[in-house]
Amino acid sequence: MTDALFLFAAIADAPIAIRASEIEAVVRLGDIVTVPLVPPHVRGLAALRSRVLTVIDMEARIFGAGNRAGQAKLAVVADLAAHSYGFLVDSVSDITQAPSGIQPIRGRIDPAWAAYASGLVERDGRSHLLLSLADFVAPPGSGALAA
Amino acid sequence: MDEILAEFIAETLETLDVLSGEVVAWEADPTDKSRLDAFFRFFHTVKGSCGFLNLPRFERLAHCAEEVLAAVRRGERHADPATVSAVLAVMDRIGALARGIGEEEQIDESDDDALLDALSTGTGEAAPSRPAPVRAQAPVPPEAPAAQDEINQVETPAAEAPARRVGDGTRDRAPRTIRLPLALIDQLMNGISDMVLARNDLARKMRDHGADTELESSFERLSANVADLRDMISKTRMQRVDRLYAAIPRMVRDLTRDLGKKATLELDGGDVEMDREMIEMVVDPLTHIVRNALDHGIEIPADRIAAGKPESGTLRIVARQSGNQIVIEVSDDGRGINRAALVEKAITAGLFTPVDAATLSDAEKLNLIFHAGLSTAAKVTSVSGRGVGMDVVRANIEQIGGVIGITSASGIGTTITMRVPLTLTIIPGLIVRCGDHFFAMPRGNVVELLHQNSSMVSIENIGGARIATIRGERHSLIELEDVLKMPRATETSGPRTLMVIRSSVGQPYVLGVQAVESNEELVIRPATPAITTVGVFAGMTLPDNGQPMLLLDAAGIAQKAELPLREPEIRTRAAAVEAETSAALIQALIYRERDGRERLLPLSVVDRVEDLEASQITMSDGLAFARIDDRLLPALNTDGRESSPPKSLRLHAGNEQICYLIDDVVDIIEVPAKVDVALPSGRVAGLVMVGDTQLEMVDPFALFAEAAERRATNNSRIGRPIQCLIPDAEDPWMRQILAPLLVRAGHDVTFDASGEVKPDIILCSSEQPVPATAGDVPVLMLREVADPAAGTPDSIYRYDRDTIMAAVAQAARRTA
Repeated sequence: MTDALFLFAAIADAPIAIRASEIEAVVRLGDIVTVPLVPPHVRGLAALRSRVLTVIDMEARIFGAGNRAGQAKLAVVADLAAHSYGFLVDSVSDITQAPSGIQPIRGRIDPAWAAYASGLVERDGRSHLLLSLADFVAPPGSGALAA
Repeated sequence: MDEILAEFIAETLETLDVLSGEVVAWEADPTDKSRLDAFFRFFHTVKGSCGFLNLPRFERLAHCAEEVLAAVRRGERHADPATVSAVLAVMDRIGALARGIGEEEQIDESDDDALLDALSTGTGEAAPSRPAPVRAQAPVPPEAPAAQDEINQVETPAAEAPARRVGDGTRDRAPRTIRLPLALIDQLMNGISDMVLARNDLARKMRDHGADTELESSFERLSANVADLRDMISKTRMQRVDRLYAAIPRMVRDLTRDLGKKATLELDGGDVEMDREMIEMVVDPLTHIVRNALDHGIEIPADRIAAGKPESGTLRIVARQSGNQIVIEVSDDGRGINRAALVEKAITAGLFTPVDAATLSDAEKLNLIFHAGLSTAAKVTSVSGRGVGMDVVRANIEQIGGVIGITSASGIGTTITMRVPLTLTIIPGLIVRCGDHFFAMPRGNVVELLHQNSSMVSIENIGGARIATIRGERHSLIELEDVLKMPRATETSGPRTLMVIRSSVGQPYVLGVQAVESNEELVIRPATPAITTVGVFAGMTLPDNGQPMLLLDAAGIAQKAELPLREPEIRTRAAAVEAETSAALIQALIYRERDGRERLLPLSVVDRVEDLEASQITMSDGLAFARIDDRLLPALNTDGRESSPPKSLRLHAGNEQICYLIDDVVDIIEVPAKVDVALPSGRVAGLVMVGDTQLEMVDPFALFAEAAERRATNNSRIGRPIQCLIPDAEDPWMRQILAPLLVRAGHDVTFDASGEVKPDIILCSSEQPVPATAGDVPVLMLREVADPAAGTPDSIYRYDRDTIMAAVAQAARRTA
């Protein structure tokens, strides 16, 4: 089952997991062309060969503003609703299976995260917050389904 | 197996599409054997494939239809409307079933029997199960040549398509085709785009490193190939308008039957090509317009006969390419649009008061049809008038960058014209710069580009509003950086560029940008929702430099900047007229004549200022013409044009245009409409005080008159043509050299000296006696030798063309 594969990465010093089925590739982006008037989590446009990616800063989306704008260049590429996106992550560690599956979240997490994290996935004995990329491109306000 | 099934479904549906057009043509002319064969082959193919694929329902339906058609082929059965309808119903069912398989949807099988009953008892007298009585009229001999063109009222554009699909091998003029998944073509497109970007990257690197010429020429060749390839691939996106037409004949047939009307459909321009996606976007609006035309436009036969029209109405759909637009025109010869009913509805709906309605122009009344909720349908029929109206059609067309227009004459018919861009995805765009950012503006929205410090522009700040006045017209001025909330680069040298922008909504406005960089064909892709919700971007693009760029939305920018939208046009027009009459000031252009003197011209007659090459000016027959954009315009002030490349003022007065050569443009100022000292002499109307000096105001009337006069003196085309009499018809020089010259110059030449036509001038050789009929008609004596002393007094050397022409022209003036 492909759903059992997860991409393990990190944003804002937090370990996260994304279902591999949602992902097309992980790339290092070139220049990002900023777009005026858009919300802060839309970082701009980047060319990936002949495709144009809309670059989403997941950290900025979660916390309202990106505090380390301009550093992350690593992006998770995904096609959502016929548009191509690049989601910025700080680092990527692995794509692997999670034998224990998706666990419910224990403890009380930061309300900012709560809107996006839908569970916990374990890798090497460490818990990762499970995120869904679609939540990050939905209009603000409608993405808070998971909590 | 699944693949074969999918192929079968796709092929069946596609053939059905094509055949639905054919069937109507067949009904119009049941003797058309080639069409009958096409249907027969269709059912036969379906039957065969179904046996193989184990689809018994298809097989049963196809079998029965095939039987009936076979009977028709044998001449045992007549293709009457009932039979045709029954065959159509079976075709529809097969289509529905095929789609059902594709979507794994079930259709109740019991309905099939009813269809088959209708099929077998179609005529009520000739069913294939019973011994079929041969009808009274002679059966069609199986090999009789099909009378294709006699009654073939429906021009089915897809006429040869079935042959291509079914492939009986006898007709090989259709191009060979294969079926390809769209995704593959899109991938191919992307691949080519990647290649273009890689090429551009390589080109940049070669420039930086200074590659040798041999390498460069190889690269050039590769580069040209890539460009060709890109062009070819973009053609795969194009499809013939035929596809748009395919469903129309059937629709017209069904609708006219439902409505009890008769209509002939004419389709033209099916070979015009447009973008695949664009065709998809136009299908619905076109369908709606055709429905409307049949439902509301074309009258029932009794009414048509009463109105003295042919019983059968005509619906004509024409597609043609016009520049980078496709024009689709739907015209009917029905009753036209009832303006009074529209206006009444609009008043009832509270759009305006009866008083306002009285001021509406005819076009404004007609355009009410595009207003939501105003349908003239007296009653809601099954066909139209259900609230989805022309407003939706217009919205759909405008959404894809198109324009829709309507003309209608009461009792004569209605024509609806749709203009849509050739393609959704590739548009010419201007690339504008804002600081480090680049944006694209569709060239279609840009009316004009000007430099901010151009003499044509004056910019004012009034109560916070910025107004740019360009050649006397005031526009709202907005800066792109302000709309986008970006810092404006102040330290940059050079003037900003102003773009006069026209969008589908609202008034034209002026958009200031830092610079316009270049002009490119751009492949536009949709932008993501997060970007489009901003409201000022229409899409995104990746130009050849590989840096993503956003496409600006001209209408969105106006909205964002809160510019006034469509103003009540009637009132502004009235106000404008008032303003014009009360204003005592006019705008005038100060320019420097070629002799260095500064003079004034009213700005309203100046169309534009152009830089001309000396080679663009031609002297012809003493007249100067400037060749501009493949037109020859009369030119004034052409002396000494070789010395310096001239500037030209293009002056216009309605259809007339002339070029007035000057040294340079100096300024635009406001001057009183009345000159301070009127000195009507020659080109000058009078003196105007400007500041501490006074300038001559040139009289445009005099200039146009002068240009016209000079043409006239050369052509003598004043009023009626000049009658030239050549009494000596035997003189070969007179007949073969002089007469054609005069005719070319616009004169009439007669050799009839009998006096029936009174000539305006007589031309004769100085060796001949003056004809007796001369009377008071001037006589032009032409001598053969150049020396004036050799011939009779007052004679003109016969190769002195200018003098001859001048003399003829003088005669012309006398008669005028």
